[in-house]
Amino acid sequence: MVAIIHKRSWRDFDWILAFLAIAIVGFGTIQIRFAQPTETYWVKQIIGLGIALVAMLVVAFTDYRKLLTWAPAFYIFGLMLLVIVLVPGIGLKINGQRAWIKVPGVGQFQPSEFVKVTTAMMLARYFGRNRTQALTFKEMIVGGLILALPCSLILLEPDVGSVLTYIPILAAVLFLSAVRLRLVVAAVALAVVMIPVAYWVGVKTNLIKNYQQERINVILDPENADRRKIGYHTWQSILTVGEGGVFGSRSSAEHSQSGLKFLPEPHTDFIYAVTAENYGFIGCVFVLVAYAILLSRLITGARRSSDRAGMLFIMAIVGGFIFQIFINIGMALGISPVIGVPLPLMSAGLASLIATFIAIGFAISVQLRRFVN
Amino acid sequence: MKFEDSSQNLRARLRFIQALVVIVLGILGVRLYVLQVVRGERYAEIAENQRRRRLPIPAPRGVIFDREGRPIVDSRPIYNVILSREDVKDNKLADLTKPLAEGLALDVDLLKERFDQVTPAFESILVKQDATPNDIAWVEAHNLEFPELRVEQQPQRRYPTNGMLAHVLGYVGEISPEQLKQQSYKDKGLKPGDIIGQNGLEQIYDDYLRGRDGYREVVVDSRGRIQDEIETVAPIPGRDLVTTIDLDLQKSAEEQLATSVTKRGVIVAMDPNNGEIMALASFPTFDPNLFSQRINTKQGRAEYLALLNDPQTPLLNRAIQSRYPPGSTWKIPMSVAGLQQGAITLDHSNLVCGGGITIGNKFTRCMGNHGSPDLKTAITRSCDGYFYRLGLKMGIDGIVAMVDEFDLNKRTGIDLPNEVVSWTPSREFKKRMQPRDPDWRDIDTVYASFGQVYDIITPISLLRTIAAVGMGGKMYVPHLLKEVKAYGNQGNSDYLMAAGFKPLDPARPNPKVIPIPEDIHHLVVEGMWGVVNNGGTGAAIKMAGFDIAGKTGTAQVVGLGKDTGKNKDHAWFVSYAPAYKPEISLVALIENSGFGGANAAPAIRRVYDTYYRKTRHEEPPGAVQIAKKQTEPSQAVANIAQ
Repeated sequence: MVAIIHKRSWRDFDWILAFLAIAIVGFGTIQIRFAQPTETYWVKQIIGLGIALVAMLVVAFTDYRKLLTWAPAFYIFGLMLLVIVLVPGIGLKINGQRAWIKVPGVGQFQPSEFVKVTTAMMLARYFGRNRTQALTFKEMIVGGLILALPCSLILLEPDVGSVLTYIPILAAVLFLSAVRLRLVVAAVALAVVMIPVAYWVGVKTNLIKNYQQERINVILDPENADRRKIGYHTWQSILTVGEGGVFGSRSSAEHSQSGLKFLPEPHTDFIYAVTAENYGFIGCVFVLVAYAILLSRLITGARRSSDRAGMLFIMAIVGGFIFQIFINIGMALGISPVIGVPLPLMSAGLASLIATFIAIGFAISVQLRRFVN
Repeated sequence: MKFEDSSQNLRARLRFIQALVVIVLGILGVRLYVLQVVRGERYAEIAENQRRRRLPIPAPRGVIFDREGRPIVDSRPIYNVILSREDVKDNKLADLTKPLAEGLALDVDLLKERFDQVTPAFESILVKQDATPNDIAWVEAHNLEFPELRVEQQPQRRYPTNGMLAHVLGYVGEISPEQLKQQSYKDKGLKPGDIIGQNGLEQIYDDYLRGRDGYREVVVDSRGRIQDEIETVAPIPGRDLVTTIDLDLQKSAEEQLATSVTKRGVIVAMDPNNGEIMALASFPTFDPNLFSQRINTKQGRAEYLALLNDPQTPLLNRAIQSRYPPGSTWKIPMSVAGLQQGAITLDHSNLVCGGGITIGNKFTRCMGNHGSPDLKTAITRSCDGYFYRLGLKMGIDGIVAMVDEFDLNKRTGIDLPNEVVSWTPSREFKKRMQPRDPDWRDIDTVYASFGQVYDIITPISLLRTIAAVGMGGKMYVPHLLKEVKAYGNQGNSDYLMAAGFKPLDPARPNPKVIPIPEDIHHLVVEGMWGVVNNGGTGAAIKMAGFDIAGKTGTAQVVGLGKDTGKNKDHAWFVSYAPAYKPEISLVALIENSGFGGANAAPAIRRVYDTYYRKTRHEEPPGAVQIAKKQTEPSQAVANIAQ
């Protein structure tokens, strides 16, 4: 059996997807080094890539259907991690959030990144049966519950940003599980109407605090918002991106926005701004194109999947990705609020890196078995 | 898709997501284009500016020397605590006041005022001047807490602490918000926190003294810590000034005022040959260090307020900013003009004294009865009756011509700020003074001719007039600048030549030459010589072999008979010496002290003594010790006819 896998596997293995992902991580590592030349984040990122590659290969050469049968177990394991992280002494508190587990030797590990994968698996398994009719109300409730459990644990950390990145996972699964289109349209319409209304009501009733308003104002008009307090991150990121110009900034690394610490969190939240400063518009578009190809490969893989569960898992991951990419890069470009979401494959962070490669490994596994049955 | 069923249009939904991916990335791409390509230049500039900072290196201010090269004013290095406002979020500034005030022992209210005052927002704020070693240690210890604080070295001006020469030197101070709004200051590139000359020579010659600050252009990180230095531009030191002041004479002059009855008055010494002021003392005086060192402290403010409200007006430079009736000293220019205009002649200069004069039904008396004296005697004895009649012969127009001739209705042009113009008799002046009786009458001419009522002049303009008479009509612009020292080495590109005094108003002739024929000059000088040397009103200060020519004066403060206590007359003595080859001219005015001959002349004599010792290297002849007790009438007083 091993021999069969090998022979066919190497032919059907999605090399483009794997190399693209590795290339982005490699590029990202260079950016991390630029951003924090005196720190060891970039070394950790390389170590993380090694671990992630092993994990990816293991998952890729394991039958995803077997993995999906174990999905509840992974899911419960994930939930346990989320509980453990809340225990003081095990869970590390950084910036008021108890979201990290200390791993000796490697550093910190953020379980909420990892649980995204197990949650996506659980959703894929539940919605993966062949269906002949539109999504029922009960199914939607169950799907919502699958998501709600990890989300509520993450809210206890509290990490609202992470929770937000879970929502598109469910949305993608529901959308592709034949949720009635009129429900989709209704939900979108409601969102379009309700968000501004809710904001207005919130402002009028003072439920939305001044600093929260200020965060929105910064996005609407960064130059006139308070650049020194709430708007500081956004404004500095915009300056950093703008300074990159077409071909990248002319000032030396020591005098760069990140080198002088004007740009906050340059190796995680604002890694894309670092790229923008170093390589300018050309480099930035290049990165966007790389993400576009990566996502397209994943969607193609989903389309070729031999069963619904495989397709749903991949698309859940795609949903999470595109949302995170938009929020993170949007943050750097001053069009989305600063909510601390990492850029997949580029931001420094072990958990995010390994989880992403497990998901990619899963997608490759789905592709490898597209002709089975 | 083997599991696909067409009813769920899965293929279309997948395609929709694919499209969504492209759209989302497309939006990001467009935004990138806007930020980097469209606005890139602008943001790059803003980013550049926020990491670059210019730290000034203050230029050392020039030293002020006396005419013999003795330093009068210099600077010493002090340390200031500066707050870099760029690094402070606006709301934090208010929070900083309390901890800073406590840590640096400052007054909270003053600090708050400073923080509110400084605009625009992106400036450094001087938090504490002349920080103590303790303060500096505190700033360094709290570097993490307040990274926006830094300590800068700055030269601080040091003036003689006893207030010597305060009115001449002036003082330096921080440029005020009002000054910053004025174009003339903007043109010099001055900015908040700059120290400039705010009075006296410091103000007039500020452009020479100030030099030009250098700077360090540095790169700072987000917390304002210096990371790198891009360039350093060394400051250009201010140029040194050599003044015309002779510290020995100055000290002597100030001593006379300090020991005078009322301790209020003026003594000015000038070289009549060129207008160089050798001493200028105005009392009471003040300590200019208040402005250069203490004005930003609570005690300093209180001290300043006390000076402003002091009825003795110590901030006033009485030599150029106070006007007094000249009394009988007025008779000197009257004599010259009377002869020039032909009201009297060299051969027939006798006029009746009459013990006074009756105009209409009003009798204005002379202090004695001098018969029918000639001009020389009238000057020596200071006969009022004589000059009433001379004035009437000249008429108001003659008096106005005299005023014009001696520039008495103009500023002297001394190189000090805020000189006032004397008030001199004219028809217009009377109209303004007495609108109910606007016509000029003979009685007014009488008043105008003996130095009262319509004649109210500054000591400096009187001195200039008398010196010009002594010089036979050559009237120089009085000044304090001898030389701005050369800067750098000759041959270097930045070499600046030494510069001498030039009248601030270039249209002004220096000297102005008044056509006084030699024989007229001689006659008037004889009269003035007699005041001291021929039993005149100043006979008590006679110096054998060093002939002082002078004139006493007593300026009425109130009407005759009420002149006691604090309303006593002002005592004048104006002079020069030697009478026929002038080297030095001196004026003294002692406020509310009584007769000029008894109070002003002895003070002048002691300054002459100092001068004599310096130039002749021997004890002055006949140094009469004149009793300081003013109640005891001396021989001289008995002779006073005014």
